[in-house]
Amino acid sequence: MKKLLLQSSIMALLAIFAVNIANAQQPHVYINPGHGGYDSDDRNMVIYPFQQGDSAGSWESKSNLRKGLALRDILQKKGYRTSISRVTNTTADDLALSTIVALCNQSGADVFYSIHSNATGTSSRTNFPMVFYRGYTGSPQIANADVLAADLEPYLYASETTVWTHNYQIWGDWSFRPEWGTQGYGVLRGNRAVANLSEGSFHDYIPEAYRLLGLQYCWMEGWNISLGADKYFDRLGYFSQGAITGNVRDDRIKRLQECAQPFLVYDDDNLMPIHSATVRLLDDNGTEVQRTQTDTLRNGIYTFKYVNPGIYTVEVTEPSHFTQTATVTVNANGSTYQNFYLKRVRDTPPVVVDYTPVWQEGDPAVKCSTSIVLSFNWDMDSVTTCDAFTLDPPLEGDFSWEDSYYRLIFTPKDAFDVNTLYTLTLKKTAEHGGGTPMDEDFTLQFYTQPRNHLSELAVFPYEKAPVHFKTPNVELRVDSLLDSYNLFQKLRVLDSEGNELAWNKRSIKYNKRGDDYGYVRIPLTKDIEVGKDYHLILDVDIADTAGIHLPAARDIVFHGVDAGAEKPDMEVLDDFESVTGYNCSNNTITASSDRLFGSKSMQVTYDLTDYDGYWTRISAPGYLESLPHKFVEGDTLGVHVWGDMSCNDLWAVLWADDEACEKLISLGKIDYHGWRYISVPVKNLPEGDFKFAAFEIRSEGSPMCKSGTIRFDNLLRKRGTGGIDEVKLANMQLNVADDYIVVSADTWVQGIELVDVNGRTVKASGNNCLNISQVEPGVYLVRVHINGRTATQKVKL
Amino acid sequence: MLMMAAAALLPSMAQEVEVVSRQRLLQDVEGPAYYPVLNQTGDRLLFLSENGSLKYYDLTDNVTTTVADGYVAGHDACWGGDGKVYFVTQEVADNHLIYRTGKSFDPLTHKTVQLTEAQHGAVCAVAASRGGALRAPGGNSYQSQGDIGSSAWTEGSRVHITVNGEERVFSPVDSWAGYLWASLSPDGKRVAFFAAGKGIVVIDLRGQILAMPGNYEMPCWYNNDYLVAQNATDDGHQFTSSQIVLLKSDGMWKAELTKPASMAMQPTCGGGKIVYTTIDGLLYEMKINIYE
Repeated sequence: MKKLLLQSSIMALLAIFAVNIANAQQPHVYINPGHGGYDSDDRNMVIYPFQQGDSAGSWESKSNLRKGLALRDILQKKGYRTSISRVTNTTADDLALSTIVALCNQSGADVFYSIHSNATGTSSRTNFPMVFYRGYTGSPQIANADVLAADLEPYLYASETTVWTHNYQIWGDWSFRPEWGTQGYGVLRGNRAVANLSEGSFHDYIPEAYRLLGLQYCWMEGWNISLGADKYFDRLGYFSQGAITGNVRDDRIKRLQECAQPFLVYDDDNLMPIHSATVRLLDDNGTEVQRTQTDTLRNGIYTFKYVNPGIYTVEVTEPSHFTQTATVTVNANGSTYQNFYLKRVRDTPPVVVDYTPVWQEGDPAVKCSTSIVLSFNWDMDSVTTCDAFTLDPPLEGDFSWEDSYYRLIFTPKDAFDVNTLYTLTLKKTAEHGGGTPMDEDFTLQFYTQPRNHLSELAVFPYEKAPVHFKTPNVELRVDSLLDSYNLFQKLRVLDSEGNELAWNKRSIKYNKRGDDYGYVRIPLTKDIEVGKDYHLILDVDIADTAGIHLPAARDIVFHGVDAGAEKPDMEVLDDFESVTGYNCSNNTITASSDRLFGSKSMQVTYDLTDYDGYWTRISAPGYLESLPHKFVEGDTLGVHVWGDMSCNDLWAVLWADDEACEKLISLGKIDYHGWRYISVPVKNLPEGDFKFAAFEIRSEGSPMCKSGTIRFDNLLRKRGTGGIDEVKLANMQLNVADDYIVVSADTWVQGIELVDVNGRTVKASGNNCLNISQVEPGVYLVRVHINGRTATQKVKL
Repeated sequence: MLMMAAAALLPSMAQEVEVVSRQRLLQDVEGPAYYPVLNQTGDRLLFLSENGSLKYYDLTDNVTTTVADGYVAGHDACWGGDGKVYFVTQEVADNHLIYRTGKSFDPLTHKTVQLTEAQHGAVCAVAASRGGALRAPGGNSYQSQGDIGSSAWTEGSRVHITVNGEERVFSPVDSWAGYLWASLSPDGKRVAFFAAGKGIVVIDLRGQILAMPGNYEMPCWYNNDYLVAQNATDDGHQFTSSQIVLLKSDGMWKAELTKPASMAMQPTCGGGKIVYTTIDGLLYEMKINIYE
């Protein structure tokens, strides 16, 4: 009995010793599939056909678990010891970070992998693997954590089943998240295994989200992590089997954009993944070794697991595509990537099944901006189809394809010619993607409308326009309503160095339905510089709602000015600080704080619709009739006008004293926005004094002239000097003494003015005697008003 | 003084807890400090310094002493009933396996003694009423004497309870991921531990479940009736809140000792004191009064 007990004890000790020896060499990997459950922190990507919160959809917690379980099984098969923090995907599995760390520490693991996928958290999309360890990059807190990461990343990045947008990255979490200080990722904090957190790919890159739905794709990431572990523990030679994986896609059909929002795709992800393709692995005798199938989750992934080394044939079959094969070599403990691009079976010739424009004799003409669209029964070959396309008369244009080469669009570079019958012929040499041509030519005809470009009614600034520097407005007016979508991007203001000036987009004004003409008006956010040239660029693709665009791009040079610059040689007749006495029929006159001088300007809001001949007058008050405010031949009239780009004509109205004679002086067309200084000579006046009587606004009756708002500030006058002959009245005498100028005549002298060489009235009187005792010596012009007539004479004081 | 409103589970058992004091420890003396462990009398405090060194702070004479240097020099350290520190060090070998060594440190002599040879796999330092132990499942273990008194420790989904030298193993609740943080009540009659996915479990020495006070981490006995624990939340990557809570061990009452935004964590109890750290490694000593 004692002997038996001794033998049993020895056997038990040997068993323990054997376990200890095995344990001494067996790497222990702790696996933490990140997150857990289907909760708000479990990263649900909403992708068609799954609804938000649908557990069948894309969840990081779910794909992390699939990768983790695959890694566990693979590592166990490879002789590792494993521990894993969860094996199901429920909220209860979502262990706290401290718990995960403590479980790993308690397990005595050598390495720790926390498995995740990434997201940009922004609208940009990218896809590449990242691995993190605790500490600063290059200075891990746990020795070798950087080595573990460096051993893992190349295997993740080697995947050819995905589309990478960037190279892989390895970071210390303190360097990657400097805003967290040394807190770092929770599962690395306090973790005493050689620990990594891997973000295998970006699940918010939608094609990747579909791949992560696939069990085979997740298994392959687990396989690749196991290779990283093998490399780290120098065990790559310990396992004798390999894996084959790849992506099965159509060779030219585009991936469908089935999600609620269009999503970005890169490179091969543009191609349609093929569902339910049967993929067989055949040995060199043609014997099937393994068989699998791509799923229906829009990823096209197939994987063969645990394949013995050797040369194989991978065969892919799918009823709507031609079967394709490829020879692959499998290495022990290696990954073999083989993607397939299947050609569709297209068993009938291509035909045009739909087209626009549809037109026949007697139909309304087609817009000149229209595109020609041909839809086919098959995806077409781009080269032969575009070569087969002819238009008579010929027109330069661009081809584009939609719906994976099922729809061809021809867009004229400019526009179709007006009033023209076009004939399109698509010759039967056009082939579908499988190389079969059409049975017969296809033709269509259409007749175009008499308008093929936008007509510009007005633009401000126009070429060489002086533009007041204060946050100027830019406006384009055309003959039909503009398409406002992104319109502001098609107008640009550049300074002389080519720098673009910013728009104040909050104050942008567009035409609206029912308007008589199209327009867009946008102020700049900042002032321009006085004395500098600027460019207004109008893109050719500024178009109306029918797609009719400008005939050509425009580059308009304009100049920054200060409309309120001081004019020392002018005298102010009215500063418009008060608008009392001004009148404009039923239109509104107000004092406006938008002024150039003082505190007010005169604002006139007018509507010419109800006035015969489309004009109105803004009558001046009586005080402007007094002698100091009158104009005579040779004077200069100046006024500051805030234009409304109505393109109305603006006039100054002067009346003779007896109001028997009226004289209109043009102040130009109001084809500008903002303040402008208008200065005009007073010419061709009959002899005598003329009082300023009114401003007059006249339109030509175009829709854009009907109504508006203009402002006036500081009405100025400059007395005429040089170039104006002295006018002497035969019966007038001028006596210049030390202190007085005295005029004698045979009739009533209404007044005398003494005008300096700059045209400024230095002194004036309302009778025949002018005190000059305080006047500086010099040459002056004496202007004498006699019985409705004016005489001038130079004097030297 | 701060009076915390107790979140009573049962209105008829309304109680209150008063935070009598809260004081920073080792301010301007030590950098960030983590994983504090008080001894039974509450006058010595083990902690891991920022560089990973294991130190202890003597609250009676205000002196800190280094137990072991180097990152992960000492972890899961504990105070044995004999006043020694039991801890584990680790080294990564050329084959990248981690080898762990059990050691003890005597504060009286400042001598470190290697108790188990370097071995691959888990080694766990265990506090016991009369000494300490180093448990290595499947490997070489150690205990300071034949009868180390009472102790509790976890391994996988098992809690090991030793009473008068006799070890019993229990798995009273299902927990796939495992058990953690076993703690013996001061009177040695109950054990609290954490079951991943389930929360704190209080059992008697026969493994019978007495209460499950809630899903909190790192429970430790404040006295024979109350536990202090950590209540943390995260987004899967980083902590989003963390606070210290007081729990009645029968699961019938609980109260916040710090606010969720305090980011307070890793509590330890001893001698009527509570010590915890924060996410950025600030140590605090807290004293409380409980009114029943």
